[in-house]
Amino acid sequence: MKMKTMTVAVLGIALLGTYACSKDDNSGNTNQPIQTVTASNIVADTILGIAPSGQPYGSGKFTFFSLERNTVVPSSDSATNKWDIGFRGTTIITNSGNSGPGQGGAFVFIGLFDDLLTIPADSVFRVDNAPSSYAIPTGSNRGWYVYNAPVNLVTPVPGRVLVIRTATGKYAKLEILNYYRGGVTPAATASDDDKLRNQRFYTFRYRFQPDGTKTF
Amino acid sequence: MRTCFILLFSLIFINVAAQQKPVDTMFDRQLEEVVVTATRSERKLSNVTVPTTLIAQKTIRQSGSLRLHDILGEQTGLFITQSFGRGVQMQGLSPDYTLILLNGEPLIGRTGGVLDLSRVAVGNIRRIEIVKGPSSSLYGSEALGGVINIITDQATGRKLQADLRYGRFQTIDASLNGTIRSGKLTAGGFVNHNSSQGYSLKPNSLTKTVEPFWRFTGQGNLAYQFNENSRFNLDLRYAKEQIQNSIAVQNLGTVVVSKGRETNQDLNILPSYSYRFNQRLKTSFRGYLSQFRSQQALEVKNLVQGYDDQFRQDFYRIENQTDIHISEKLETNVGGGFIKEYVASNRYDSLSTRRANQVGYVFFQQEWRPVERLTLIAGLRFDANQAYASVWSPKLSLQYRINESWSLTGSAGRGFKAPDFRQLYLNFTNVAAGSYSVFGSLVAKDEVLALQSAGQIDQLMPAFEKLADLKPETSTGLNAGIQYRYGSSGRVQLNIFRNDISNLILTDIIAFKTNGGQIFSYLNISEAFTQGFDVEAGWKFWKYLDVSGGYQFLSTADKAVLEQIDAGQVFKRDEQTGVSSRLTRSDYAGLPGRSKHMANLKFFYNPSSEKWFASARIVYRSGWGTTDLDGNGIINRDDEFAEGFALVNISGGYTVLPGLRVMAGIDNLFNYTDEVNLPGQPGINPYITLSADFGKIRNRSKTK
Repeated sequence: MKMKTMTVAVLGIALLGTYACSKDDNSGNTNQPIQTVTASNIVADTILGIAPSGQPYGSGKFTFFSLERNTVVPSSDSATNKWDIGFRGTTIITNSGNSGPGQGGAFVFIGLFDDLLTIPADSVFRVDNAPSSYAIPTGSNRGWYVYNAPVNLVTPVPGRVLVIRTATGKYAKLEILNYYRGGVTPAATASDDDKLRNQRFYTFRYRFQPDGTKTF
Repeated sequence: MRTCFILLFSLIFINVAAQQKPVDTMFDRQLEEVVVTATRSERKLSNVTVPTTLIAQKTIRQSGSLRLHDILGEQTGLFITQSFGRGVQMQGLSPDYTLILLNGEPLIGRTGGVLDLSRVAVGNIRRIEIVKGPSSSLYGSEALGGVINIITDQATGRKLQADLRYGRFQTIDASLNGTIRSGKLTAGGFVNHNSSQGYSLKPNSLTKTVEPFWRFTGQGNLAYQFNENSRFNLDLRYAKEQIQNSIAVQNLGTVVVSKGRETNQDLNILPSYSYRFNQRLKTSFRGYLSQFRSQQALEVKNLVQGYDDQFRQDFYRIENQTDIHISEKLETNVGGGFIKEYVASNRYDSLSTRRANQVGYVFFQQEWRPVERLTLIAGLRFDANQAYASVWSPKLSLQYRINESWSLTGSAGRGFKAPDFRQLYLNFTNVAAGSYSVFGSLVAKDEVLALQSAGQIDQLMPAFEKLADLKPETSTGLNAGIQYRYGSSGRVQLNIFRNDISNLILTDIIAFKTNGGQIFSYLNISEAFTQGFDVEAGWKFWKYLDVSGGYQFLSTADKAVLEQIDAGQVFKRDEQTGVSSRLTRSDYAGLPGRSKHMANLKFFYNPSSEKWFASARIVYRSGWGTTDLDGNGIINRDDEFAEGFALVNISGGYTVLPGLRVMAGIDNLFNYTDEVNLPGQPGINPYITLSADFGKIRNRSKTK
C-alpha cells in the first residue's frame, strides 16, 4: 500500500508539472481585449485509497490556481493573495472567508457561459466558511456537479457558470468542463478502478476581467 | 360509508324483476372467447368497450413460458423491466401503475413499487386477461396503466398431468397438475419446482449476474356446487423463493466477497360464495387474505457491512359484488368492500411496529344498450382511505358496431395509486454509499428535526417546507380504437391512447447533512404523460397457421421538464469540448426506460391432427433511455440509451404416444445479451420438456 501511495503521489506531481493551458481566439470583440482561457488537467488531490466506509480519500491538500496569472500556485503561498481558487476532489474553494486572506467570493450562475456578459447588479457573492459551507456549495447537485451513483461518475452540471471574485477583488466567470484526466469522462461501463484513478483532474474555461468591472 | 352500502343494496332489490337472461356462458366459452376483467363480469371478447387482450393456456404452453414475465414479454406494448425483479410497463407507465390480479384479487409484495412477476408460475394458468387504460373505477388503487388478471385452472373433471423441463444453466422446472371431481365437489392441485444455477454475463467475475435460486409454488382449488344457483369456491396459493446474493467489494486490489440470501414468501387464500337468486340477479361474496414475507440478509465481512432486512405485509379484504340484469338493454354491477392492510419492516422503524391502513370502497357500473349496435358503460368507484385523501374514480366507455366486421371503441377513465407504506414510513440510511438517507413523507419532518437538533443538518432545502400529506397519484386515460374482424380467421385493431399522470410521487432532496450526505423524501412533485398507439393483427391461414403481429409507438415526457426547456432552463454538454448549450424539445427523449418502438411477430403452426406443433416468435424493442450522463438529469444524449434489440424464440412439440408429449425450444436463438441494461437476459437458452397426461395414457391402455 505504501508503495502504491508513493506511485500515485509521484504521478500527481508529474502531472502538476505538465498541466496545459491554451488560449482561444477572441475575435470580434475589440473593446474588451480579454480572452477565454482553458485550463486542463488541473490535479485536485487524486485518490490514494478507499476508506473502510467506502469513501475514497487523498492527501487532503488543495491545488491553488491564479486566474489572473493563469497558473497553479504552490501550496506555500496558500496564506497569500496569490491564488483565487483551489481544488480538492469535488470541493472548490475561493480565496475568501476562512479559506484565505483575499477578498474573494463566488456564486453559481444558472445559464450559459457565453450569455453571461455582465454580472447582474443584484448578485450576492458568498464567501467560504469551511467546513460547513463554501461560496461554491459542495455536494452532488448543489453546486457545479452531479454524482451519478449507479455509474459512479462525477459530471459537471451543464449550464452552470461559477462567477468568481478573485483574491484582489476582480471578477471572472468560469465553467467546469470535465473532472477526469485529459478531459475525457470514462465510459459508464469502465471499471470502478479506472473511474477512481482518472478522476480529480479539472478541465475548465474562464474569462478574467482585469479592469475590475463586472462585464466580460 | 355504511349509508352508501345500504343505499346500493336497496337499489339492487328495488330493481329486481323477472325476465329471462339468454346468455349461457358455459356454451359461449366454447364458441367465443369470454373475458371477465374488463367489466368484472363475463363478456364476449368481441363485445368489450376497452382495449383487452386474452392469452390462452395453449399459447402459454406452446411458447414454453415458465413464469409470468416470460409470456407477458411477448405481448404488444408490454415491456418487462429488470429493476427490483421483473415488472411490466404498460402504455409507457412504470410497473408500479399496473394492477396484477390472481383470480380477481391483487397480488401484494411490491419492492420499490415493482411486483416481481417471476414469483408467479404459469403452469396452471387457464388464461391471462390484459386490460389497458385506467381501470380504478372497478379495481381501485394501482390500476392506472391497466390490469392484468391471471385466471388459474378451475377443476372440471378428472385430470393428472406432469411436466418436467430441463434447460441451460441447470434450469429445472417440474410441475404436477391434477383435478378430481366427486359429485358436487371438485378439487384441483398444482405444485411446481423451479430452480437454476444462475449465470454470469461478465467473464471471470467473482459474483454471478444472476445467482442460483429455487422456487416452489403450491396451489389448490376446491369448489362445491350446492345447486345450480349456489356455489362455494376456495383458491389457495403458497409460493416461496430463495435467491443467493453475493456481493463483491473491491478496494484497489483487495476484494471481499460476502454471501447473502433473499427469501420471499407469498400466501393467498381466497374463499368466495356466489348465489344466483334468479336469471336476473346474482351476488357473490369474496374474502381474501394475502401475506408477503421478504428477507434479505448479508453476512458481515471485513469492509462489508452485514444486514438483515425484513419486510412483512398482510392484506385482508372482504367484498360483495352484485350483478343485476335489468333488461336486454340494461345491466348493473354494484359492489363494495373493506380492506385492512399491515406492514412491518426494520427499514421503517422496527419489525414490532406494524403500520396499518384501511380502505372502504363502493363501486357501481351501468351498462346501457340503447340500440343494438351501441353499448355504453359508465362506472364510478369511491375509495375512502385512512392514510390519504378519498378518491373518486369514474370511467366511461362505449362500443359502436358499424357492421359485422367493423367496430369502434372509446373510453375515458381515471386511475389512481395510493401512496404506499414505503413512501409514508421508510426510514433508511445508507452509510456505505455517501451516507444518504431516505425518509417516508410522514416521518421525514421529525427525523430531520431530530438530526438538526443533534447538529447534523447543514442545510434545509426548499422541498423540506413542501413536505405534506401525500396525495394519491392519479391518471386520466383516453383510449380510442377501431377493430376489424374477418369471421373467426382474421382481426386487425388499432388503439390510440393518452395518459396524463398527476401528483406523481418522486423522491426529492429535502436536506443536506453536515457530512455532505443527502436526505431524500417523497413528494407529489411531478406530472407526466404517455401517448401513442398500438396496432394488432392476427390471421389464420389454412386453418392451422396462426400469424399475428403487433406494434406500439410511444412518446412520453415529464411535463415540468418540457416547461423548463421552453423557459430555456435546461442545458446539455458537448461530450468532446465539454461546453454547455441550451437544450431543445427535440433533444429531450422523454421518460427513461421507454422505447419509442416495440413490435412482435408470432407464428403458431398447429396441424389438425394435433400430433405436433411449432412456433416462432420475434419480439423487438427500440433503444430506451437508461441513465443521465451529462448532468442535466434527463435523457438527451446518444450514449444515455440502451441499444434496441430483437429476440427470436422458437419451440416445437411432438406427441410420441397419446398423452405423452415431448417439447423442445430455444429462447433467444441469436444469443443477444446486454450485461449492463439487461442483466436478466442470459442469452441463448435451449430447453426440453416432457409432458405426461395420465388421463389420456390410461384411456389408451383401457382401449387396448
